[in-house]
Amino acid sequence: MDMQLREVAPASAHHEFVLEVNNFNVDYGVGENMVRAVNDVTLKLRRSQVLGVAGESGSGKSTLVYAMTRLLRAPGVISGGDVTLNITNDGDSDEVTPINLVTASEKELRQIRWSHVSIVLQSALNALNPVLRVGREFHEVLKTHRRELTKSQRHARSVELLKMVGLNEDRLARFPHELSGGQRQRIMIALALALDPELVIMDEPTTALDVVTQREIINELNELRSRYGFALIFITHDLSLLIELADEIVVMYAGAIIERAGASELYEAPRHPYTLGLINSFPPMHGDRRELTGIPGSPPDLAELPEGCSFAPRCPYAMARCLHEAPALLNIGDSDRSVACWLHTGDSSVTVPVELSRSSSPSRAHVTVLQDHT
Amino acid sequence: MSEITTTPAQLSVRHLTRHFTTRVPGRLLHAKRVVRAVDDASLDLVRGQVTAVVGESGSGKSVLARMLARIIAPTSGELILEGTTIPAGAKRTLEYASKVQLVLQDPYASTNPVHRIRHSLERPLLIHGAKKHDVEDLAKAALSRVSLDPPERFLDRYPHELSGGQLQRVSIARALCVKPDVLLADEPISMLDVSVRLGILNLLKGLCDNEHLAVLYITHDIASARYLADEIIVMYAGQIVERSRGTALVDEPTHPYTQLLIASVPDPSDPTSQASQSDEHSSYAVPEVGCRFAPRCPFVMDVCRTTDPPVFQVGEGHTSRCWLYADRPEAVVEMALPERRREGETTKT
Repeated sequence: MDMQLREVAPASAHHEFVLEVNNFNVDYGVGENMVRAVNDVTLKLRRSQVLGVAGESGSGKSTLVYAMTRLLRAPGVISGGDVTLNITNDGDSDEVTPINLVTASEKELRQIRWSHVSIVLQSALNALNPVLRVGREFHEVLKTHRRELTKSQRHARSVELLKMVGLNEDRLARFPHELSGGQRQRIMIALALALDPELVIMDEPTTALDVVTQREIINELNELRSRYGFALIFITHDLSLLIELADEIVVMYAGAIIERAGASELYEAPRHPYTLGLINSFPPMHGDRRELTGIPGSPPDLAELPEGCSFAPRCPYAMARCLHEAPALLNIGDSDRSVACWLHTGDSSVTVPVELSRSSSPSRAHVTVLQDHT
Repeated sequence: MSEITTTPAQLSVRHLTRHFTTRVPGRLLHAKRVVRAVDDASLDLVRGQVTAVVGESGSGKSVLARMLARIIAPTSGELILEGTTIPAGAKRTLEYASKVQLVLQDPYASTNPVHRIRHSLERPLLIHGAKKHDVEDLAKAALSRVSLDPPERFLDRYPHELSGGQLQRVSIARALCVKPDVLLADEPISMLDVSVRLGILNLLKGLCDNEHLAVLYITHDIASARYLADEIIVMYAGQIVERSRGTALVDEPTHPYTQLLIASVPDPSDPTSQASQSDEHSSYAVPEVGCRFAPRCPFVMDVCRTTDPPVFQVGEGHTSRCWLYADRPEAVVEMALPERRREGETTKT
């Protein structure tokens, strides 16, 4: 750890969380034509936890993580809130150093990026330099961040990283175009893990892949995570994939988080009408075939958001209140899940539809917990 | 609907094959390699039915669709439209195009961004001989058929002003303009947002049920095929490896590839479904001899490596190209096809 980073007083109260985001806002453009792409997002990510971010295109999910990691370029502007990354110091996992990513200087960011936070992007073909052999990518990151390593040590580490993701070492001599999509994405994952980060962010890493390859990568990711214990933010539009992979899921719509819950709770007992609609948009693999309806209408244009709840125009349960007052993301009762919907504010005059008030079965929740600890 | 049982297929293909010759990278110029993109595919598209073709990228499913649309000429095999065999090497005619229409994956790429929706819809109408003063009404009618209401609101918009789901509806409307009998949809929903996908699937289903179009639905998403299709065909490396009427193929997959495919689908209702054979990794050369799936198959036997498996009958209207079923009767493809339309066999959603 660099001296400069250590000067910040350690705050042990936060060590449970690797990332804390508070009231975070991101805009595109300024002034009149400004579009708010991320609206008042607050979330916390525990160490070694998998946070799934689900949402459709334009929901702000990618903008959120790019802004969070300060990768967002103009005209994207962070217009409010803060992001705290609690990094552990080597050798002592109890002591953490909080870094405010919003105010961090380029120099500080350089020390954090890749060593503490790394990112895997959707298109592995575009992320790898087409004129460099894969081995060069590994050597360059190790040369920059691990200066103490000799050339042969760097090579050994590269081979080790490839083995981790199930690739043979002869891939190091290949160019990206000689590899399949799945192999390229594996290389990206290996690169992201090269410096043992505490937090890995993956933006639609499997969307461009076939379902069989996606399954292999997800299984591998689960194994790597249980072995190395990094926290993971996994962004995708595929809610059914997240339900399998994530511990906790946030669902985004029109730039805001509209529901946050444990993965199996969210699937079995969705509270927001949009979440329910998304779940019902995936045709099932079992049971009788019956007509599904999906969600009527189209995702909203962020430049012309409706007044009130942004989902109200597509919502089958919309009430008068929804059309002019936007609901806030609030905890439901005393549970630790939250939803932004007027149906769930505890108002006794509102009847919650039965499909939005199911309870999640305890047996499933138990199974999930057991899996987490293995 | 007893007529359907006797309805002959609108468009049939028999033993359709397409090989591409490529140069082997890094070798001498004359070193050629043949890619068997589609091998010996036979299928019938029947009015009022959805036939789904499922496969991963590179399985040949899009080449198959393009051969059916006659954009790519087959290396061998024949196309039969309304009982008439199309001579090999014949040019694609306007008449053929008016009966068989193709809808592509990315609606933003398949509409001209500098022209209004009106242009995209009216141009095919004019080409197909509609009177100039009728085209606006016909274009509006086409938009109504795909539930873009009111149509006037959409005619003068540009593609970028529409959402992906709306624009995909426009490209379906454009295909419907010329009143085709067969609609080929190549991955029509994979570029769309999850929440609007079902709308497009239901639209295709409605066109099939209400207007008796024959629909070919090409997809990599086996769950959507199960939702929509009257017949499901699974392709692997250019071959049809398994096919079934209704959902038998998804409910009781017999081919090891289909089993792998289904086990790989994320299924939140079954948290234990994480099974996968995966120490090996996805890039496999397709062998020159024997079963094409053999290098990845967990049940591979000696015979698989030497002889290409024939198609075996594994159930009512359910066939599998796999040596594991060698004790079953061999299904001659030509025989298996007509008999699959028996009354009451098709499950309508």
